[in-house]
Amino acid sequence: MTNDRELDVWREQWSGVARLSPEFLGQVQERIKVQDRRFWLGNLLAVAGVVGMLILAVYQFSHQASRIEKGRAIGLCVLVFVAVTCRLWFTRGTWRAETQSICAFVELWHRRVLSQIRRLQISIYLAIGWLVFCAALAAANWATVRLELMAHPTAYLAIMLVMVLMLRAIWFWAMWLRRRKVAELNEVTRLLEEMETMND
Amino acid sequence: MSTQPTDSFASQVTLVKEIRRELEQQFERILGEHGAAISRLAYSYEAVTGIQEELAQEIALAVWRALPHFRGECSERTFVFRIAHNRGLTHVRRRRPPQQSLDDLEETDEPVDPRPHLDEQVAQMNQRAQLASAVQSLPVAHKQMIVLMLEGLSHAEIGEVLGITENNVAVRLTRARKALKETMGVTL
Repeated sequence: MTNDRELDVWREQWSGVARLSPEFLGQVQERIKVQDRRFWLGNLLAVAGVVGMLILAVYQFSHQASRIEKGRAIGLCVLVFVAVTCRLWFTRGTWRAETQSICAFVELWHRRVLSQIRRLQISIYLAIGWLVFCAALAAANWATVRLELMAHPTAYLAIMLVMVLMLRAIWFWAMWLRRRKVAELNEVTRLLEEMETMND
Repeated sequence: MSTQPTDSFASQVTLVKEIRRELEQQFERILGEHGAAISRLAYSYEAVTGIQEELAQEIALAVWRALPHFRGECSERTFVFRIAHNRGLTHVRRRRPPQQSLDDLEETDEPVDPRPHLDEQVAQMNQRAQLASAVQSLPVAHKQMIVLMLEGLSHAEIGEVLGITENNVAVRLTRARKALKETMGVTL
């Protein structure tokens, strides 16, 4: 008990709010198990994805005689390298909070959202750059590309169609994610300002 | 000679298992001691009963994840409240809590004992509901201060949780209490 009567009454009332259910611990333990499984599976899938792409690229490079296939394999390796480097570069400083406090957490959260938005923007520029690069490469090697196209016109047409559709879907997804992240940034900025104004 | 690496690996596995078991025991103890506070804190951030439980579980999960990094630089209570509030903030980002009416609060609370002090009990329950509703509707920064104060943390501990000085805590607490009183006045 303190000398503050009002505070004592509030504390007493507060202690009766939201009783803990008896199954709470069991439910949490169950969720921990599920989370552990997801964590391992997620990491395995990510590693398998990157390794799989690299194996595929190396296989294509060593087993395909076609210059287009070799070029695609090199391109895939470069893309993976650039994507991983960009991700690491933009997430620097966002791994952990500088101090262990709520203010530091909100600041870290702000940095993370900013980094996610920047990553998204740079991904869009990279994708556009990639398309321009591919187009330029195809134009420069048009004689070889033309022969390949004439040899398998249906297959290449189908690939082009799938790529166009995929690009469209990725574009809409990226725009949706950007809107969400900008809204999140506004929310975190508001929270930061709210915390800062309390210090004034 | 050839069995050395296997032995070493086996002892490493045993060590990891032991650490995990110790962590599990520590986690169960923390939930036993601070589980009710976690539940109340979840309540302050979320008005819907089902989602409150989910948020309390998420807070507990976050504590579990952070437990291996707990180096004892602060008290266990401070550690738990810090994580709980961070999780609460993340929850606020995801969805804005709808205001809960006093009728809902009365339904979720324990039933009234139909014995002599009925009026007194009903009055107490109403006061508790008013306080709870007022805490829920406070802005996040005020809410953090009030909840930590209601949970009985000292100014130093509150400062540690929020990452601010004790003087600052005193100033903020005064403002937060004023806001709480005003809110309770509005809900009366």
